[in-house]
Amino acid sequence: MSLVFWTLAIALITAVTCALCGTYLVVKKEALVSEGISHAVLPGIIVGYLVFQDRSSPLLILAAAATGLLMVGLVQLIKRTRLVDGDASLGIVFSAMFSGGVILASQNLRNVHFHAQCIIDGNLATAALKTVQWGDVDLGPQAFWMMALTLALVLTFILTFYKELKLMAFDESLARSMGFRPVLMHLVWLGLVSITTVSAFEAAGSILVVALMIAPPAAAYLLTKNLFPMLNWSVVIAVASSVVGVYAGYHLDISPTGPIALAAGLFFLGVALFAPGQGIYSRWQLRRQQKSSVFEQLLLVQLAGKTDHAAAAETPRSPESLFRQVAWSRRQFEAALGRCLERKWILRQGQQYLITQDGRVHVEKDLY
Amino acid sequence: MLMIELLTDYTFRTVLLGTAMIGAVSGALGCFAYLRRQSLIGDVVSHSSLFGVMLFFLASYWLTGQGSKSLVVLIPGAICAGTAALLLTRTVVQRTRLKQDSSLGVMLAIFFGAGIVLLRWVQRVDPPIPGRRGLEDYLFGMAAAMTQDDLWMIGILGFLAILVMLLLWKELKVYTFDPLFSHSLGYRTAKLDTLLVMILVVGIVIGIQSVGVVLMIALLITPASAARQWTRRLGTMVILASLTGAVCGLVGSVISATYSHVPTGPVIVLASTLIFVVSLMLAPGRGIVSRMLHRSKLMSTIRQPNAGGDLP
Repeated sequence: MSLVFWTLAIALITAVTCALCGTYLVVKKEALVSEGISHAVLPGIIVGYLVFQDRSSPLLILAAAATGLLMVGLVQLIKRTRLVDGDASLGIVFSAMFSGGVILASQNLRNVHFHAQCIIDGNLATAALKTVQWGDVDLGPQAFWMMALTLALVLTFILTFYKELKLMAFDESLARSMGFRPVLMHLVWLGLVSITTVSAFEAAGSILVVALMIAPPAAAYLLTKNLFPMLNWSVVIAVASSVVGVYAGYHLDISPTGPIALAAGLFFLGVALFAPGQGIYSRWQLRRQQKSSVFEQLLLVQLAGKTDHAAAAETPRSPESLFRQVAWSRRQFEAALGRCLERKWILRQGQQYLITQDGRVHVEKDLY
Repeated sequence: MLMIELLTDYTFRTVLLGTAMIGAVSGALGCFAYLRRQSLIGDVVSHSSLFGVMLFFLASYWLTGQGSKSLVVLIPGAICAGTAALLLTRTVVQRTRLKQDSSLGVMLAIFFGAGIVLLRWVQRVDPPIPGRRGLEDYLFGMAAAMTQDDLWMIGILGFLAILVMLLLWKELKVYTFDPLFSHSLGYRTAKLDTLLVMILVVGIVIGIQSVGVVLMIALLITPASAARQWTRRLGTMVILASLTGAVCGLVGSVISATYSHVPTGPVIVLASTLIFVVSLMLAPGRGIVSRMLHRSKLMSTIRQPNAGGDLP
């Protein structure tokens, strides 16, 4: 199998796992916990490496994931004292743990290849090169199988506890009153997030993990109001971003992680602007349409006269008298007049304007 | 090295002064981020600034044929990108259903992703861009590499940010604690918000040089969170946070200069975390220790026979 194929495969499976993990974080409004975890696992990875002397040992992954949970626990501990407001505790704890990790690395790993780049954007291509052999058969890269295992874990958890997760995500108090244990569930979930972060760390680095855990679910959040479609959408967007990112990275001859993160972010931006009904641009356009429609109606009402039924009430009006009566700006007035003429709702007779039958139907349909 | 030797060393004095100034400025401004419950913007701004840094580096290369790594070029870029990221976050929060933290996270993906793409491209592109070596230091911070020019840049920008804060003290104070009230007083809240965002961004980007993008958030909020434990007044809090930041900057540079191979940034962060933990424990009236004392006193009162007087 070619290198590009495996790079893409690792990118895809990482993206899907992260997007699934992130959906709950976004729904629960704690998306940035992933940023905290992705940095706080560093001391765990380094201690694990010092103890096990093997960067891909499963024990290391568990140890590092435990560090992620430790961070969550410390944050909860500080929050419980109610002495620190908002998200400050998260920032304080993860930066302190990351500092510890950097100092540990600077003291102990100076002669080991522990590249700074790995922390930030990982290296998908290198990860794709490290393959596992089974007998004589080349099974593909280790990173792929590690992520596949993580994905299986996450999927099993989601499928088993879908109902509970849904309840917990949207109404924690209700879940508690029904006898579920949302706090425990939440901790297990953050444990899964930690495991995903750590197993993706070497291939993807912290930037990609955070980007993929937040951007696709955030985009999906704007596309739907239901949990199941949201999971689907975030997987779709994650897959699309990794394909685009790997392609761009291949052409620029750089590690694809940065491009994937950027692609995921841009997909979000596209959705935020153009999502039907929800998008910023779509809503702006809708508002503009509504506004001009109100102007047209007001103009037609002026021409139709005050009584509803009597067709005789309509009198031709000069544009100047109409303009004085509506008291809009000249530009608004002319635009509305133009649109009404174009749609044949009013007629021009010499210097005067007259409402047509169509215009009368239109204004009555909408107003009465 | 001995203390005396250190203090007479020119390079070290530059670093000492730089980290202390950065600590003081970001500590003071951090109070506003902390009180507005926007602590994590520090993280997003510092990461996002990489994009602006890379754009301005490339612009300096296209204009002069030599990529510049001087802070005079890079910091304006960082300020532009950081401000853009925060304003975009504000737009997304105001105009869509998405909440603050997810919007911040998405901006992180866009701006930091774009910054990393540019950085890796600049490092790989052929023919090589002159001056591209060492750009990565921006990510992790190189306090020891601070120059006299950098010091001036940090000093002037920090001074300007603090000056704006002091001039608009009353307005910013009201806006921070009660945005609706400040709006009802007739303040231009949208403009105030943009201004506050801009001075915060300035406070953040001048510090990245010393601790790197990941740890900048600690310089911003850890001193503020520690200071908050000791006071209920904004003025006192800003002064305390500023002092904490400065002291931690000094401690960090002294320790990292004394021991070999200890990076400055993490030491600064750990020093301020220590002060934070101590504050959490010992703060008078609300600290954990004083709370426990209070509770044990209450418990002993309750345990006394006939504690509440006779029942009616």
